[in-house]
Amino acid sequence: WLASGSLFPLSCIHTSASLQKLGKWEKKNRIVYPPQLPGEPRRPAEIYHCRRDIKYSKDKMWYLAKLIKGMSIDQALAQLEFNDKKGAKVIKEVLLEAQEMAVRNHNVEFKSNLHIAESMTGRGRYVKRIRYHGKGMFGIMKIVRCHYFVKLVEGPPPPPEPQRTGFDQAKEYVQQLRSRTLVNTL
Amino acid sequence: SVLHPAGAAPACLVVPVRTKKRFSVPEWARELSPEEKEKRLKSSGAVFPDQRIERTFYLACTADIIDPYVPPEGDARLTSLSKDGLKQKMEKLKQTAASQLALRKVKDHDPDFSTKTFPEKAQEIFIEAHNCLANFNKQKLHSLVTERCYPEMVRGNRYKTIRWSFVESLEPPRVVHVRCDSIMNRGNLYGQVTVRMHTRQILAIYDRFGRLMYGGEQVPKDVLEYVVFERYLVNPYGTWRMHGKIVPQWAPPKDPIVK
Repeated sequence: WLASGSLFPLSCIHTSASLQKLGKWEKKNRIVYPPQLPGEPRRPAEIYHCRRDIKYSKDKMWYLAKLIKGMSIDQALAQLEFNDKKGAKVIKEVLLEAQEMAVRNHNVEFKSNLHIAESMTGRGRYVKRIRYHGKGMFGIMKIVRCHYFVKLVEGPPPPPEPQRTGFDQAKEYVQQLRSRTLVNTL
Repeated sequence: SVLHPAGAAPACLVVPVRTKKRFSVPEWARELSPEEKEKRLKSSGAVFPDQRIERTFYLACTADIIDPYVPPEGDARLTSLSKDGLKQKMEKLKQTAASQLALRKVKDHDPDFSTKTFPEKAQEIFIEAHNCLANFNKQKLHSLVTERCYPEMVRGNRYKTIRWSFVESLEPPRVVHVRCDSIMNRGNLYGQVTVRMHTRQILAIYDRFGRLMYGGEQVPKDVLEYVVFERYLVNPYGTWRMHGKIVPQWAPPKDPIVK
């Protein structure tokens, strides 16, 4: 009964400030850079957002995260809206929240001017339960949860790298052959 | 009497316990009227606390500016050399009766107060408070600024860098308005003094990523402000602290935030 940090019986205000331990990803939103000198190029805004303990498998979520990586936010939202997976809805909500946060708190001017720099999944807290089979047999099942992390950066999405063709590979091979040195000779 | 505490036993509760059947209620179990109950309690010597344990709070400042000063239109536009400007100046503190009354009350509680010396001190407090804001020195800021003003100054600034500097004061600051009021109880006096300051300041706010959001480092701006200072008069250790600013309706619009 002395759980909420105050001792007065009539005050029901709970005096502890933070709810739980903040994860590393949430803390990344708190770094403050020193003011830029007038000559430097404008630093693009970076917004970190995540959602913890989503009831979905991290491997299944990975496919969606890989789909979105590198797209602009509008394209990503469009793709997720018409994707049939369960995780697509969750990721869409996360992206919308992050966009909202960017415009409101992080001084981003245009909400479409964002692209997804990083999007990752991580393992959440698993819980073991009994799965009942016939004939009194049982198995232990894992209730699987995942976290989803996203980093939005202001600016148009970076152009995709040109694919490595056979010609490039051949060129590199020839270059390697040419850069060999002869050891223990004149 | 520990075995049958008369005050605590609920008289109307019937406990279905199978005991020896009795046909008359015994002396100690019959219902008591409230006076008899009190007598029993007093005789048994039980002491109950009369007061409820209440959480006390201390009001160090008022919630709002009492009777805000309405600055006349075109205050900064007229110079003090022209006739209109002089007239405006003369009309001020000398006339308003309420201000004079309040001034007298303030002088009762604080004999050192005077309208001549106070504006300089007020300006010093103002400059100190803004420097603390720029350096995020919260403890000192709390002592220079009231609790009502503190969130107004600090909100939204946690992840921003603020650079502020005071260049010079274009006109000497003046006391324009004094009010004295008590809240909750009759004798609980708080004094509020409005000081008019016309100064030149440099303000630059950088957002989280170091990009300039407002103002400029090399751009001094002329600012006409009506700053309200407050003090808890009844408290002998009270100090004058910044309470808020009055923004007149004819003030020029602020610059937009650079994104």
